Amino acid sequence: MPVYFSEHEIVVPGQLLSDNGKRSGEGTYAYGGRIYAARIGFASVREDKVVVTPFKAAYKPAPGDWVVGIVSDVKPNGFEVDLGRHLKGIIRIPDREEVISTGLKVGDVIYVRIKESGLGGVVIDKRSRVRRIESGLLIQIHPAKIPRLIGRRGSMINLIKRFTGCEIIVGKNGFIVINGPSPEAEFAAVKAVKMIEEEAHTSGLTERVEKLLKELLGGG
Amino acid sequence: MLEFSGIPRPERLIDENGRRIDGRRPDELRPIKMEVGVLDKSDGSAYIEFGGTKVIAAVFGPREAHPRHLALPDRAILNCRYHMTSFSVEERKPLGMTRREIELSKVIREALETVTFLEEFPRAAIDVYVEVIQADGGTRTAGLTAASLALADAGIPMADLIAATAVGKVDGHLVLDLCDLEDKYGEADMPVAMAPRFNSIVMLQLNGRMAIDEFRRALALAQKGINEIYKLQREVLKRKFSELSPEEV
Repeated sequence: MPVYFSEHEIVVPGQLLSDNGKRSGEGTYAYGGRIYAARIGFASVREDKVVVTPFKAAYKPAPGDWVVGIVSDVKPNGFEVDLGRHLKGIIRIPDREEVISTGLKVGDVIYVRIKESGLGGVVIDKRSRVRRIESGLLIQIHPAKIPRLIGRRGSMINLIKRFTGCEIIVGKNGFIVINGPSPEAEFAAVKAVKMIEEEAHTSGLTERVEKLLKELLGGG
Repeated sequence: MLEFSGIPRPERLIDENGRRIDGRRPDELRPIKMEVGVLDKSDGSAYIEFGGTKVIAAVFGPREAHPRHLALPDRAILNCRYHMTSFSVEERKPLGMTRREIELSKVIREALETVTFLEEFPRAAIDVYVEVIQADGGTRTAGLTAASLALADAGIPMADLIAATAVGKVDGHLVLDLCDLEDKYGEADMPVAMAPRFNSIVMLQLNGRMAIDEFRRALALAQKGINEIYKLQREVLKRKFSELSPEEV
């Protein structure tokens, strides 16, 4: 497929990327049979589609995504869940008794999967159990940096887990829960996560994160 | 001839050599300065200077729409506020939104709505704030140019950036990018905003009179200026992120 950019070139909204309008992927749009960039980011061809990996982008819920949410309202027919920023998810439970029996309260942090997202709002899958998170540090980072935090096949997140011994629950919406053996370990994990958020698009990050963790935890 | 407070009307706005009051040629833009990401607390921001006109724009969102009943089920709402600071003009502008500012907020919002993909964020709201620090003519066009940069910086998906400038008629000559004096004492002032990629006009206003033929030439002149501004906008956006590397994202 002929393209008008070099791999990983920084593109800006409106920039022409390709003449093949059928291959329009994330961060791009097709108009008049051509593909243009819709966001600032790195352009690349992935799985035969032109995509733009944005530097900043709000989280867009997709079915199957695991997210961390905060219960914000209990209603007769279900729950409302705050997913950060502009997003509200809903858990639909037809029976009132069942709502009460879940034991969820306003303010509870839960780890859930998204069932669908569209005109009906963001609906949360209740078949794959709603998991209530009992304790931990809840932090929020920019959703666009989540792939970097996880790393290639989970390399980055596993690095932090290994060094700090913390359990880390990552929601695709940018909410992260860190649960560790000691406050020091938890704070070290938070610092590492924040470092990844700030320096997401720089090279040699893995080494720097490793160095930071070693410093904080004294040799790891 | 009507005289405004502040500087009285100069005898000639264009001299015998065809130079304008600030020494520019008729088809020359004022010196432009652009910067993206100037504010930390907003999601996206931009600062622009067109000569003496200084404008800052900030974007928040997408966030939850308030009040709730205003939220749309299929797309985001775009809120826009164009505001001039009290110290932006010669005589202190009282606080609060004047009739003119409310109108310009609407005009800027409608222009931005044509290029942003609002359907990406159902039920949400996006706020755009345009604050004029110093006004020297062409604040709505500078504001719109800055607002589109701030939206792009905030990561809001857009079909294209918006570049805008004004053309006008001064002492019978068509001129590009009017300054305050030319705007006040000239015969016509026409702000134009375009999405240059598709050559589509997203805002056009005209104060004063122009013949049909003059209008056509003025529009062509505006387009020339807009293309220069557009080029700068793209450069400034790319430069902001140029030190980043696309490692294993």
